[in-house]
Amino acid sequence: MSSTATEPVVYTPSSASPASIVEVDRVSKAYGKKIAVNELSLSIEAGSMFGLLGPNGAGKTSTIRMIVGITMPDSGQIRLFGKPFSRDQLTRVGYLPEERGLYKKMNVLDQLIFMGEIRGLAASVARTRAQNWCERLSIADVMEKKTEELSKGMQQKIQFISTLLHDPDFLIMDEPFSGLDPVNAVLLQDTLLDLRKEGKAILFSTHRMDQVEKLCDSICLVHGGKAVLHGRMRDVKGRYPRNRMLLDFHGDAAFLADPLVTTSADEVRNFGNHAELKLNAGADPQALLRHFMQSTQVYRYELVEPSLEEIFIQTVGGKSDA
Amino acid sequence: MHSALLIARREYLERVRSKAFRISTVLIPLIFAGIFGVGAFSATHLGGDAHIVVASNDAQLADGVRDELARGENPPSQLEVVAPATQADIVSLVQRVDSKEIDAYLWMQVSPGEPQPSVVYATRSSTDLNADRIRDAVSHALLRGRLQERGMPAPEVSKLLKAIDIQRLQVKNGGTVSSNGQQSFWAPYGMMFLLYFSVSFYGLNVGRSVVEEKTSRIFEVLLSSVKAESLMIGKLLGVGAAALTQLGIWFALVAFYAGSQMAAKAGIHGVASLGIQPIQVVFFLIYFVLGFLFYSSLSAGLGATMSTEQEMNQFQVLIMLPLILAFTLFSYVLGNPSSALSVGLSLFPPCTPLIMCLRMGVQMPPLWQLVLSVALMIIAIYAVLWIASRIYRIGILMYGKRPNLPEMLRWMRYS
Repeated sequence: MSSTATEPVVYTPSSASPASIVEVDRVSKAYGKKIAVNELSLSIEAGSMFGLLGPNGAGKTSTIRMIVGITMPDSGQIRLFGKPFSRDQLTRVGYLPEERGLYKKMNVLDQLIFMGEIRGLAASVARTRAQNWCERLSIADVMEKKTEELSKGMQQKIQFISTLLHDPDFLIMDEPFSGLDPVNAVLLQDTLLDLRKEGKAILFSTHRMDQVEKLCDSICLVHGGKAVLHGRMRDVKGRYPRNRMLLDFHGDAAFLADPLVTTSADEVRNFGNHAELKLNAGADPQALLRHFMQSTQVYRYELVEPSLEEIFIQTVGGKSDA
Repeated sequence: MHSALLIARREYLERVRSKAFRISTVLIPLIFAGIFGVGAFSATHLGGDAHIVVASNDAQLADGVRDELARGENPPSQLEVVAPATQADIVSLVQRVDSKEIDAYLWMQVSPGEPQPSVVYATRSSTDLNADRIRDAVSHALLRGRLQERGMPAPEVSKLLKAIDIQRLQVKNGGTVSSNGQQSFWAPYGMMFLLYFSVSFYGLNVGRSVVEEKTSRIFEVLLSSVKAESLMIGKLLGVGAAALTQLGIWFALVAFYAGSQMAAKAGIHGVASLGIQPIQVVFFLIYFVLGFLFYSSLSAGLGATMSTEQEMNQFQVLIMLPLILAFTLFSYVLGNPSSALSVGLSLFPPCTPLIMCLRMGVQMPPLWQLVLSVALMIIAIYAVLWIASRIYRIGILMYGKRPNLPEMLRWMRYS
């Protein structure tokens, strides 16, 4: 574990840009003796996607619940849209919780109109928007059906729409793609990217590191209620050396057992036609490439920084209860 | 408040649009009619389609008793006379009863020198005629015979023996008002049953729907827009309004029936003749609203601490205990509406609605007791709401293990 990765990156409110949509400033929350969130700070800007990461029980949901006013912080402050938290501001926030819930017996359109109304929309406006969104996400044909008759994926889309209906400026998406097939996951992902382009701030909480890596501009890794890694994705990853080697090849993998390889890499993972090597400080990548080209047919050779997943595992170590 | 009303409207519409609401609105009056029909039938139906033989060694007495029995309400469908009868006839009557050819026989033996005959009434199992009815028939027949023997004309004898109407009065505030007495039994019983049903059904419905929404995880979404208090108040109002709608439909049906031609044939002329006063309906509604708020907020608080409906079913009987207690005491309260126990229970908030409803049916309680009972209930509801809303606020976000008492007390401090 490198010292760079474990050192907490402390955020201070003064560094927040004026366009901060949400600022969490040294917020703590305890339930009885258990400290769920400990002096956590983060800030999310308009038009950006922010990844909130961490193992189960790290304090992600507790943090989100405080941002949307379900619970109150014991200490610290939450600012929404540049002002101290007040419930009125919640009409500008859309929250898709990980634990999804819909009224099972209600039909889809009525349900969406109701969700729009409790967030301050007039019924007629909510109806029009619900219809438009259902068409956009290709579920217009189920609007008159009862929720309980729909598949899990469909229900997920309805919940997604209900989060967006009141056109919030700040979106909180907790595991938004879980339970979706790849086609629908891409559909929702593209929708989120469109919303970011429109200037919405999006807080994205997930375990799927590949998605975070692809979508997020900034991240905060929470562990034991504390932010252990925080910053722009580029900066976070830039702190780690490019010591990961990815190799696609065809033929016998015996060359991976060559002393040149075993002395250069701390870890060699062989997947058949794909191998991943974690190089040590003394390794010579050029010499290795020459060795591979002589031994096998190389399709791809890439030297990369560690993936977010590796950073995550390295930072959190074996302490995760996930 | 706006969001509480939106929640209330949703809860209300979901319930009144449901199939269960439509079915119960139709089915429950039918079940009631069935229960009361059977009760009323068995209470009044003394003879019915029974075949009874009246036997005596005195033919005149046998004929007289047959006429008296035929004259009363719901006379036995077949009345046969065997007279003058002998011991041999009795042996054959026993066999006829045994072989189910007849249902019963009444044997009256007149002995010279004895002023009254000895009377035997024999059936296979239970009696078809009660002792009062037989006693009346025999003594009226004897009286009729003796009076006519002494020269009194038959119409005059009939007038003399006609059943006497008794007007029942209740002494109140130094004056008298008419009281329905025994007639009023069915009205308070029916109203109490309705109250018991609606308070427990709709009250517990609130708790069950809290558990259901907890398991469907909808609270997390709602709480990011609506305060927990608004959610709970909205639910209570919505479910309460659905219950009032159903009660309203039933009252309208009863009023419509009571004013109809069909009811007139059965001797019912308007709601008042059912023994239901307008003031009783008003207080019924007041006690329904209070009882519902009391039990539904208890049930909402309980529901918030449960994770599954099965758990809820096990625990809700605890909430129901005072209602069940009040329910089982109904015949005592009807018989002793002003005893210390009845008054005490009617002022004990968990029992107030049912017990007051019963007391009102028999004898209107003094105004101060009514006012005090309502005031005590309002205080109790306030206290229950205060505690329940605190438990609710935390409980609806807690999944998994059921909290113990110290944990619940801590929840109250958190909020």
